[in-house]
Amino acid sequence: MRYGTTIKVPFGPQHPALKEPECFLFEVEGDFVVNVKPRIGYIHRGIEKAFENNTYMHDLYLAERICGICSHAHTVAFTQTVEGLVSLEIPQRAQYIRLIMAELERLHSHSLWVGIAAHEAGFDTMFMYLWRDREMIMDLMEEISGNRVLHAINTIGGVRRDINDEQANKIRKYLDKFEENIKNYIKVLETENTFLKRTVGVGILKPSDAIALCAVGPTLRASGIKNDVRKDDPYLLYDEIPFEVITHDGCDVFARTIVRCEEMLESIKIIRYALDHMPKGELKVKAPRTFPPNESIGRVEAPRGELIHYTKSNGTSKPERYKVRSPTLGNLASVCKTLIGAHIADIPMILAGIDPCFSCMDRILIKKRS
Amino acid sequence: MFETIFEIISLIGFIVFIILIAFFYEWIDRKFYARIQNRYGPLYTGPSGILQPIADFIKLLLKEDIIPEASEKRIFSLIPIIYVLLPILALLIIPINGKGIISFEGDLIFLMFLSAMITLSVFLAGWSSACNFSRIGGVRAALQMLSYEIPFGLSLIGPAIVANSLCITKISEWQIANSTAFIFLQPIGFAVIMISLLAELELIPFDVPEAETEIVAGWTTEYGGGRYALIRLGKDLELVMASMLISSLYLGGIGQIFFIPPIVIAIIKSIIVLLVMSLIRALFARYRIDQVISGMWKYLFPLMILQIIIVQFIG
Repeated sequence: MRYGTTIKVPFGPQHPALKEPECFLFEVEGDFVVNVKPRIGYIHRGIEKAFENNTYMHDLYLAERICGICSHAHTVAFTQTVEGLVSLEIPQRAQYIRLIMAELERLHSHSLWVGIAAHEAGFDTMFMYLWRDREMIMDLMEEISGNRVLHAINTIGGVRRDINDEQANKIRKYLDKFEENIKNYIKVLETENTFLKRTVGVGILKPSDAIALCAVGPTLRASGIKNDVRKDDPYLLYDEIPFEVITHDGCDVFARTIVRCEEMLESIKIIRYALDHMPKGELKVKAPRTFPPNESIGRVEAPRGELIHYTKSNGTSKPERYKVRSPTLGNLASVCKTLIGAHIADIPMILAGIDPCFSCMDRILIKKRS
Repeated sequence: MFETIFEIISLIGFIVFIILIAFFYEWIDRKFYARIQNRYGPLYTGPSGILQPIADFIKLLLKEDIIPEASEKRIFSLIPIIYVLLPILALLIIPINGKGIISFEGDLIFLMFLSAMITLSVFLAGWSSACNFSRIGGVRAALQMLSYEIPFGLSLIGPAIVANSLCITKISEWQIANSTAFIFLQPIGFAVIMISLLAELELIPFDVPEAETEIVAGWTTEYGGGRYALIRLGKDLELVMASMLISSLYLGGIGQIFFIPPIVIAIIKSIIVLLVMSLIRALFARYRIDQVISGMWKYLFPLMILQIIIVQFIG
C-alpha cells in the first residue's frame, strides 16, 4: 500500500533492540520501511592507532579487547598475521589448542545469538535455556584458560596453557550434554508456530544480493552459498579435520537461526576430533621481538564471519600500520538491503539477524561540519 | 446507620483483600514462569519471595515521580488511578464469594464495558505520554482491541444464552444447580475466552502493545514511580479479574462444595486458570500486530459464531 508520504524514524543510538550504540535512520511509509541510512562511528575507539604505539606483544592483548564475544578469533587472526611476517611455524599441539578454543568460542557465540534471536521474537523461555547451556561452555573456557571472556591463551609463537587429559574428559562430557540440548532446541525452533511466523520469510537476502553486497559468515551461508574461510583458505589445522560447511536455502532470519544451530553441532564434532588427534609436544616456539620490514594478512572464520587482520612492519618492535576488518562491517550493507520493505515490527529481528557487533566494527568517525 | 457503616467497612476490607490476592497472584505467576524457564524467580523477600510484589510496589512508590513536559498532564496522571479502579469494579460484579457484591441483571454487559474501558485507558495513556514508543504502544493496544473485543463478547454470551440470564452470579449458580461446567458444554467458547483475555492482559503471545524489544515498554514507557506502581497493581488486578471471570463463567461456577467456602473454591479455580496463562506465556513467541488482527478475525471470530449457532440450535 502506498501512502505517498514518508516519515523518518530514528532507530538508535539508544534502543532496546541494539545492545550497542549505532544509529539507523528509517524512512517509513505506513508500516513499511522504504529506505535505511546507517550512521556508524558511535563507538570509535581509535584502536588501530593504538596498535601502532605499542609493541607486538602488547598489541596481542589489545587485539583481544576488540570484541568481547569473539576475543579469541581476534587473537588468532593477530597471531596468524604477526607470525606470517617472519613465516613462523608453530607446534602442532599449539595449533590444536587454538583450534579447540576457537570452536568453543563459536559454540558460545552462536548459542548467545540464538538466545538473542528468540528473545527478539518474544520467546524468552528459549533465551533462558540457551543461555543456561552457554554457561557450560563458559565454564569450560574458564577451566582451560583461566578466564571466561578474555582468554589470553594465545601468544606469538604458540599458546600459553595446555589442555590436560582431565580437562579433555570434562570437555567431552559437557559437549555430550550440550549436543543433546541443542538438538532438542533445533526441534523446538523448527516446529514452534509463533517463532516460525516471526522468522520465516522475514529479511530475505537473495544469494545474488548476498554476493554483490559482500555478506560474510552465517548470513551468507543462510543464503545458500558455501563459503567458509575454514574450508576455502584453511588456517590452523582445519584442512586435516573433516567437517561440513552448513548452508540453508531459506535466505531469511529462520535460515540464519538454523545455520547457526547446525554449525554448533559441527563445532562439537570438530572439537571431539581435535581432542582425539592432539599430539603431545611443545606449546610454543620462541618468537622474535622485532620484525623485519614486511606485510602480512590473516584471515579467520570468526563466529560472525570472515575476519581480516593486516599488518605492515618496519623493522622495529612496533607495527607501522595495523588494520582490522570485522565481519559486522561486511554484513552491514546487506542488512540495509534486507531491511527495505520490512515491517517496522520486524526491524529488531532483521537487525539482530546478522549478529551485529558494532564495537568490533567502528574504525571511523565522520564529523559533519556545521 | 450501623448497617451502612458495616457495609462500608466490609467493602474496604474486600478491596484490601482483592489487592493482597493480586500481589499473591503476581508472585505465583512470576514464580511459575521462572520455574518453567529453569530460573528461581523471587527468592529473598519473605518465604520463597512471596512478599516480593509488595516490596516492588513499595519501592516504586518511593521513587522519583516524573511527568514529561510535553505530556497531556491531567490525563497522564489520571490514567493510573482509572487503570486500578476499573478491574476492582469488575471484581465487585464477579461472584467471588458465591454472589457478586453488586450483582444485577445485565452486569455481563457492564463487564464488557469495563474491559473495553481498560483498553481505552491504555490507549489514552499512550497517547497522552507524548512519546513515540508510548504512542505506538497505545495505538497497537487499540488495534488489538478491535480484533479480540467481538470474540470476547460472544464468548461471554454463550453461557448467558444457556443459563438464560445476563447476570454472572446467575450463570455461576446455574452451573452449580445443574452440576456441570461450560468448559464441557462449550469448549470452543472456553478456548476463545482464554485467548481473548490473554490479548486483553497483554501477555505473550499477544504482548504487542508492550513488546520490549521493539518499543521499549510500550505505553508504560513514560510512567515511573508511584504511577508505574499503580499500573503494575492494575495489571495484577486484571490478572485476578480475568482468572476469576473464567472460573465463574466456564469452570463450573463459584459456590460452596461440602464444607469448603466459596472463596476458597474461587481462589483454587482461578489459580488453575492463572497457571495455564503463565504456561502459555512461557511457551510461545510474540505475534506481530497484523498477524494478531488477521488471526483473530480469521479463526477466532468464525469459531465463536459457530459456537453460538451450536448453542442456539442444537444444545
